[in-house]
Order: sequence, then C-alpha cells, then structure tokens
Amino acid sequence: MLPLEIIFNILVAGIFLVYWGVAFIILYHLTRFGIGVQPKKFAAAFLFSSVVFSGVAIILFMNIDINLLIPQ
Amino acid sequence: MIKSLFSIFRDSPNSFEGQEKDEEVILLLRRHPFTVLLSLTLFSLACFVPIVVGVVFWSYLSTHGWLNLYFFVSNVWLLSFWLAIFHSLTMYTLNTVIITNRRIIDSDQHGFFNRQIAELHSHRIQDISIHTNGLIETMLKFGDVTVQTAASEKQFTFHQIPRPDRVKDVIMQIARSRDSGVKTMVQ
Repeated sequence: MLPLEIIFNILVAGIFLVYWGVAFIILYHLTRFGIGVQPKKFAAAFLFSSVVFSGVAIILFMNIDINLLIPQ
Repeated sequence: MIKSLFSIFRDSPNSFEGQEKDEEVILLLRRHPFTVLLSLTLFSLACFVPIVVGVVFWSYLSTHGWLNLYFFVSNVWLLSFWLAIFHSLTMYTLNTVIITNRRIIDSDQHGFFNRQIAELHSHRIQDISIHTNGLIETMLKFGDVTVQTAASEKQFTFHQIPRPDRVKDVIMQIARSRDSGVKTMVQ
C-alpha cells in the first residue's frame, strides 16, 4: 500500500469518526433534553439521513483510485 | 405496535425533567422559526457549492479521472453542512420556555455543553410587557416577552416568541388563577 493511500484512508476514517461523534452529540441532546414532538422528529430525520449519506460516502470512497492523483 | 411506536412523533405530554406531581404544561414556547431560517438558508446554499464546482470543472475532472474523488469530496462537504444545519436546529429546538400551572422555566442552550435554566414561580409574577421591534417582527407576529418578578428588580425576558400578546394573556391568567385558586384553561 502506498503511503498516500494510507494517509488518505486515515484521513477519511478520521472524518467519519468526527462526523459520527458530532452526530451522536446532536442525537443525544435532541432525545435527552428535547421537549415535545419536534426534537423527536428532528432526531429521526437526522439519524435516517446520516445513515443514508454515510452509506453513499462509503460506496463513493470504495470507488476512489487514489493513485490517479499521483502524476505519472 | 407500529402505530404506538410512531405515536411519539405525533403526541407528547410535553413532560420535562424535574416536573412536579400534578404540574401541567400549559404552553411550550420556542423562538419564531424565522430566527433560525437565516442560518439554515446560508447552510443550504453552501450545499450547492459542489454542484457549481462540478458544472464548471466537469471536463477537467473527467479527463483526469477524478470524478469518483469529486463525488466523494462533494458528499463529505454535504455531510459537514448537514451537521451544521442540524446543529442550528438542535440549538433552536432546545431553547424553550415552558409555562406550567405553577412556574415558568426558561431554558437557554448556547452550545452543546453550555446550558442555562432559569425558573420563575407564578406567585412571584408582578407584571408583563411585550416588545415587538421592526417590520419583520410585526408582520410575522413575534417579539420579546418580559416578566417582572417580585424579587429585587429581577426580569425574565423571553426573546422572539411567536404571538407574544397571547403568551402575555396566558401568563397573566396563570398569575391570577394562582391567587384566586381557579384552574387555568388555555385554548
């Protein structure tokens, strides 16, 4: 594996970790401190959309050939 | 089973942490949706940046074989603004004023880990004033509600509340019913 590929993979893993870390905090606040129906709706919409976007991001990440970035 | 599961998105008793026995929530107030609309519009516009970049640099990206990378980066960009949108919505949702038959609870969420809660018992309410400032607030019917307490010149201000005149009437009704012992009815 090329060093560039390793760096790229670590970077993407870091981005995903940060995203799901912040997503957890948002979901926690909405479900733990939210009063009424509205926070529950927001939490459900956010969780569903996050799963969909993350799934799409994983599929797109698997299609990337990082070697194309290196000038031949 | 499924019906009862989805009922949490329809009905809620508006219960909250620290609610006393026989304490009824009369009004649950949040700021007017217009106040969060500006940041949501800006974040939504930022979501369109990858589309513009894609349209402008499409031939360049396709000749270098960078389309997959472009789609991935666009998706990450969208994810980051999706977080920003829901951060704004979370802050908006968690900024609440709860009016119960016994007290008023003002919960201000300034950040994820920065929360301020103030409480005012109905028997300490002295007088209430409302302040609608500017064209937008007048047109969309929202404004500030200030409650003066009996304590040493302490004031409670609830900012950008929809229909402040109605809120003022409800609070006055609660304060009066507390003195007379008549139960408050809100339609």
